[in-house]
Amino acid sequence: MSWDWNAVVDFLPHFRDGLLVTLQILALGSVVSFVLGLVWALLVRTPTRWVSWPVGVVTEFIRNTPLLVQLFFLFYVLPEWGLTFSALTTGVFAIGLHYSTYTMQVYRAGIEAVPVGQWEAATALNLPVGRTWAVVILPQAVRRVVPALGNYVISMLKDTPILMVITVPEMLGEARLYAQETFRFTEPLTVIGVAFILISYLASLLLRTLERRLVR
Amino acid sequence: MAPATGTPRKTGRTGKTRDPSRRALLAGASALATAGALGAAGCSRVASASGAEGGELLDRLRAQGIVRLGIAGEIPFGYIDTDGELTGEGPEVAKVIFKRLGVERVQPVPTEFGSLIPGLNSQQFDVVSAGMYINPERCAQVIFSEPDHQMLDAFVVRKGNPKGLVDYADVIRAKARFATGSGYAQIAHAIEAGYPEGDIVIVPDQVAGMNAVEAGRVDVFAGTSLTTREVVKKSRRTEATKAFAARVDGEPRVDGAGFAFRPAETNLRDAFDVELRKMKESGELLRVLRPFGFTKVEMTELTTKELCSG
Repeated sequence: MSWDWNAVVDFLPHFRDGLLVTLQILALGSVVSFVLGLVWALLVRTPTRWVSWPVGVVTEFIRNTPLLVQLFFLFYVLPEWGLTFSALTTGVFAIGLHYSTYTMQVYRAGIEAVPVGQWEAATALNLPVGRTWAVVILPQAVRRVVPALGNYVISMLKDTPILMVITVPEMLGEARLYAQETFRFTEPLTVIGVAFILISYLASLLLRTLERRLVR
Repeated sequence: MAPATGTPRKTGRTGKTRDPSRRALLAGASALATAGALGAAGCSRVASASGAEGGELLDRLRAQGIVRLGIAGEIPFGYIDTDGELTGEGPEVAKVIFKRLGVERVQPVPTEFGSLIPGLNSQQFDVVSAGMYINPERCAQVIFSEPDHQMLDAFVVRKGNPKGLVDYADVIRAKARFATGSGYAQIAHAIEAGYPEGDIVIVPDQVAGMNAVEAGRVDVFAGTSLTTREVVKKSRRTEATKAFAARVDGEPRVDGAGFAFRPAETNLRDAFDVELRKMKESGELLRVLRPFGFTKVEMTELTTKELCSG
C-alpha cells in the first residue's frame, strides 16, 4: 500500500464539497437539537399531564431507537405518505431531532439545578411565569449545561457520516465516491479522518472558551 | 509501514541517556511498529498471486469445492431470490462453468456494486459475477473474462415520462435531476454527455434509485436496460425507458459485461474463458440466460481486448 500525494490533491475538490456539507449538517443539526431540546424540556415540565406525558413518550421513543433506523424511516417511508424532503433536509432534521432528545435531558438537569430560592424569589416578586423562565431560570440553567451540550455537538459531528446512507454527500460519502472511481481508499479516508480530528478538536477548544466565559 | 525500520534503531541509540518512562514508551512504540510491519507482511503474503505463474487459485478452489461469487443484489444480474437461493445471469453461468472446472458449489457474497472491485482485490470473494461492464478503468484494476452479454443503458422515470427523457442529451437539455448507482458505468456515461459530476445523486442500488424517482427527489435513474426493466416491476409510479446506447467520444457505445478476477489469477480466468467460449458456441449460454430476460440481442461478438482499450 503506497501513499500518493497526487491522489490527495485530486481528492481535495471532493473533500471541500464534503466538508461544507458536513459543517452545514453540524451547524443546522446543532441549532435544531438545541431549540427542540429546550422545547421538549419545557413541555415535559408543563403541569398538565395531557402535554407532559405524550411528549415524554415521544422523546423516549426517539431516544431509544437507532438514528440509522430513523433516517431510513424519514427518507423512505415518509414519501409514501406524500411527504418528501431533500436528502440534506431529511438528514439535518433526523440528526437534530435525535439529538434533541439528549439535549432535552441536559436542559432538564440544568433547570433542576437552579436553586429553589430562585423560584421562591421570583414568586415573592410576583414575576409572571414567562418572565420567571426567560430572565431568571433559563439564563442560569443554560449556563450550567454548556459543557454538556458541547459534548453532544462533537458526538453529532461523529454521527454525520451516517447520513451517507441516505445519499447526503458529506465527507465520508465523497471519500467513498472518490474511492470507487479511482480504487484508492487510503488517501481519501485518511484525509477525512484527519479532518474529523481537527474539526472536533477546534470545536472542543471553542466550547472550552465559551465555557470559561459563561460559567463563573 | 515505513517507520518500522527506523524506530528500533533510534531506541537503541537514545535509550541509555533518557529517563526510563521515555525509554519504555519508545520501546513500546517500536514494538507496535514492528508488529504492524509483521502484520502487513503477513497480509501481503496472502494477497499476492498464490505462488506459481498465473496463480493457483483454481487448484485451491477445487480442493475446497467452493467458490465465492461477489454479487450486487441486482436483478437480473446477480441476486438472492425469494427462496434464499443465489441466482441471476452471472451466478447461473458461473455455476455451470465452475462445475465443469471441478468446483461443485458457489457461495454468494452480496455487497454494494461500487465495492465489488475493491472486495475482489481484498480477497472477500474470488470472482465478480454481477454483470459488470468491461471498461478501461476497471481493466486497470482487475482482469475480465470474455464478455458473456452486451447491454444498453435505460432510464427509470416517472410514469408517462413527463420530461420526455430518451437519452443523456435529453437529461442535460431538460435540466433533469439525475441519479445512478454507486460504481455504475452510467456515472461516466452521464459525465461524458456533459452532466456536472457534482450534481449526480449516487444511490446505493437500483431499488433506492427507483425510490428516489418515485419520491420526486430526482427525475431519472440510469442503469442497464435489464436492471431498469426489472426494478420498475415493483413500482406503480415509475416506468423504464427504451434501451439506448450511451455516447462515448461521440460514438454510440454498446457495453459488454463479463466476470472479473484478481489480476494475478490468469490461469483461472483462462480456464473460465475456455468453458465460456464453448457455452457461447453451443448456444447453451443463451439457454441459461433466457429466463433472466436476455435475448439474442444481448449475445455479444465483443471481445475483452477491445472493451479494455476503450
